[in-house]
Amino acid sequence: MTTLDTRPHITDEVPGNYLTFRRGILSWIFTLDHKRIGVMYLVAVLSSFFVGGVMALLVRTKLLFPGEVSWMTADQYNKAFTLHGAIMVFLVIIPSIPAALGNFVLPIMLGAKDVAFPRLNLFSFYLWVMGAACAVYSLLAGGFDTGWTFYTPYSSQFGAGGTIPVLVGVFILGFSSIFTGLNFIVTIHKLRPPGMTWFRMPLFLWAVYATAIIQVLATPVLGITVALLVVERAFNIGIFDASMGGDPVLFQHFFWFYSHPAVYIMILPGMGIISEIIAVHSHRHIFGFRFIAFSSIAIAIFSFLVWGHHMFTSGQSPLMNVLFSAITFSVAIPSAVKVFNWLATLYKGSISLNTTMLYGLAFIFLFTIGGLTGIPLAVLSTDIHLHDTYYVVAHFHYVMMGSALIAMVGGLHHWWPKMTGRMFSEFWGRIGCTLVFVGFNVTFFTQFMLGSQGMPRRYYAYQPEFKMYHHISTGGSYIMGIGFVITAIYLIHSLFAGKKAPANPWGGASLEWQCSSPPPHDNFATTPRVGDCYDFSAVHWDEKLQGYVVDTEAHVAAARSDSASGKGH
Amino acid sequence: MTNLISTLLLQSSSGASGDTTLATGQAVTPKTFWLPQGASTFAREIDWVFEFINYINYFFFFLVVGIMLYFVWKYRQKGREVYARGPSHNTMLELGWTILPTIIVVVIFFMGFSGFVDMRTPPANAYQIDVTATRWNWVFKYPNGATSDDLYVPAGKPVKLVMRSEDVLHSLYIRDFRVKQDVVPGRYSTLWFQADQPTAEGEFHWLFCTEFCGTGHSSMSRKVYVMNEMDFDSWLVEQGRWLDKIDPAELYFKAGPKLYARCAGCHTLDGKPGTGPSWGDYDGSGNVWKRSSDPNSTHKVDQKAISELIGPGKQFENAQSYIRASILNPNQHIVDGFGPAMPTFRGQLNDKAIDALIGMMQHLDEFDTKSPWAKKSDGAAAPAAK
Repeated sequence: MTTLDTRPHITDEVPGNYLTFRRGILSWIFTLDHKRIGVMYLVAVLSSFFVGGVMALLVRTKLLFPGEVSWMTADQYNKAFTLHGAIMVFLVIIPSIPAALGNFVLPIMLGAKDVAFPRLNLFSFYLWVMGAACAVYSLLAGGFDTGWTFYTPYSSQFGAGGTIPVLVGVFILGFSSIFTGLNFIVTIHKLRPPGMTWFRMPLFLWAVYATAIIQVLATPVLGITVALLVVERAFNIGIFDASMGGDPVLFQHFFWFYSHPAVYIMILPGMGIISEIIAVHSHRHIFGFRFIAFSSIAIAIFSFLVWGHHMFTSGQSPLMNVLFSAITFSVAIPSAVKVFNWLATLYKGSISLNTTMLYGLAFIFLFTIGGLTGIPLAVLSTDIHLHDTYYVVAHFHYVMMGSALIAMVGGLHHWWPKMTGRMFSEFWGRIGCTLVFVGFNVTFFTQFMLGSQGMPRRYYAYQPEFKMYHHISTGGSYIMGIGFVITAIYLIHSLFAGKKAPANPWGGASLEWQCSSPPPHDNFATTPRVGDCYDFSAVHWDEKLQGYVVDTEAHVAAARSDSASGKGH
Repeated sequence: MTNLISTLLLQSSSGASGDTTLATGQAVTPKTFWLPQGASTFAREIDWVFEFINYINYFFFFLVVGIMLYFVWKYRQKGREVYARGPSHNTMLELGWTILPTIIVVVIFFMGFSGFVDMRTPPANAYQIDVTATRWNWVFKYPNGATSDDLYVPAGKPVKLVMRSEDVLHSLYIRDFRVKQDVVPGRYSTLWFQADQPTAEGEFHWLFCTEFCGTGHSSMSRKVYVMNEMDFDSWLVEQGRWLDKIDPAELYFKAGPKLYARCAGCHTLDGKPGTGPSWGDYDGSGNVWKRSSDPNSTHKVDQKAISELIGPGKQFENAQSYIRASILNPNQHIVDGFGPAMPTFRGQLNDKAIDALIGMMQHLDEFDTKSPWAKKSDGAAAPAAK
């Protein structure tokens, strides 16, 4: 217990940075430091990403062959794609940006010493670990093969032996997510420094705030839904199972009431990261701050009203289908607004084409495709043809992976020097990014054709006419896999042999670039003064430091005169 | 990319020529880069909406990516002092790109809406076919009581499928008709279409299950044959009687394999484990007939030797009765090592069909366990009369 972090009582000067502040495994296990918790989340999430990625490659490799293969039965295939989906959604994408990157960056961006509830923060992390442990246990108990959507009555009557453990895991992970959201909402409300009004707050925080609202409001519904499913499966109480008087479609309503907003839990923080990356690496003021900020809130609100568009063929009433289709289009507007604003931010910028920015541009490219291909899925008559085909698979991979995960990897590069104090190799970074980008498009663009030609999803065996597209798609997934392996290698290599990072390698103006890299244990010795985080006029290159410095006096003064003359946001 | 564009241009011109051929009775649109052939009356409109959206999408995609690449090249970083002065907002511009997409999506919504309402409103005179989905079979039942494993429909006539599921969710999808509807246990769902052109000899449309339903999900693919009305009527009469017309002496040999096709998803013949126990020898107690009829069988059901169930004075007088009960009330007794997964075939197999199946079990040695007649993909399994 002596190594328990007792920071509130520490008064002597802070030695070194947060990594060297205390040493030993216990100083990590019991840490209350948001940065260390963020790093632990990051390691955990990236490890899960590796496992989920291996599952994806197994699935793709099986699909090289149209018929049966001796090394993977249909049941094993079903378990592999289910595991891939469940890991990527619940263990990777949902916690990746808010819990891993958000935890690290959010308090520093606010100039705060920590989140509002550091102990709750650590508890969230251990809930994540428990949830992951349940998932591992379910594999030992026979695995689960229901698809990540757990549709009844398959999941309640038939699914493999590990179904209940994994549902318990999802229940626990839900609480991890709720507590993180709660923590962030309170932190953003209460711990902003003087001078940081809502409209001086970085857009990443707007996005995380909108996300946190969804996490707190939607996740309990998932919790109670999986709890009901466990009750039905374990005690044969008919809730969703028609043979016991329940209604299978009810489950779909409950499930998507959470899982559609969850899509925005995944993509919104990604959009926030892109707003940061595009502005900082274009070295110019973000275009249309208010439109971007409000579009985050609009997306958060609309996200609760569109769940039925997952169920156009489920047998819900045609009137419901029409209403849900109409409301679904409303999500397209704020998404389009964001894309146009990012483009306008490039206009008259000074664009650094470094690895981070390449990820930012890749996001705009991929998100545009992901968003536009959502239109034929929202249109009732065309969705009937495309529903549950590879078209849907391609669409949501463009949004979930091409957008949310690419933004996460972009954010990881953006803040890597801050988190680790080391610079990664730009050369290998660009190669890795290019391979991931090319591999991704080869993998998933072909799946649009597969789907619109009528190939259903979750198929172990398929008609030989689809073979060519499957081969191209699998080839792309290998390219992407190589890209990610290269990325992992140069990032890990940089930890040991990377150049020391300056405090501000990219020329950012928000607060996290004004403390050292890596940040000291308490982030800031005194509450920092805040200027306009997208005003780069006071940012200059310092040859001696090999990084940028922000002239705080000029920065804050510019913001003051802006607000005085009413020119601010 | 130029290839893609030329394909698309070709496609739109072929679409236009399709319109003219429609007037002359050509009711099937050919397969294009994006879409499979369109063989129902819905296909033309849905394809048009899909292509229309595609063109809007190409426009916005090339606009966004074009502007992005141009800006990235034009405003690339020069030197280390990088502060750039650009406008931080422009309310008119931003309102413009909020309102313009709004108008476009409202238009698109209405295009999809009208097509959808048609698809959900079957005409009153539609020809009804009842569909039962189980893991992992479709049974199509026609008004005269005939059943089939593949779907046969009359051309030029609206057809309405009334569907139910006996176990989990399934979804019936005929891609060339652009129709899809989930099949939900505990309720009836319907779907309708009209295919105007009979399928040519040797051709068919694929029917897929598109709601994940477990091990055999991807083996629920069946064929859809469109026949002109006269052919359909005579097929229907034949189909209703095909079992009756078979000589009792040849019943097991001629009807057995066709009926077994429905069992093949779960029960193999070669002893390999499936969802259900193999009909072949898998536990050393012989094939399904031998292990049920042998009084010294080591085969175990409900954790007991099967001989405790079968024999004079026991629950089942003989092996035939046991097998018959297993088909009609499958979950009453469960073979060790397997779960209660089999749906009942009550109402789907009549006495003669069950006789044929039992006959096939008795003569299992005469059948090639790996021969393709048991496989769906082979034409021999299709119960077509022709």
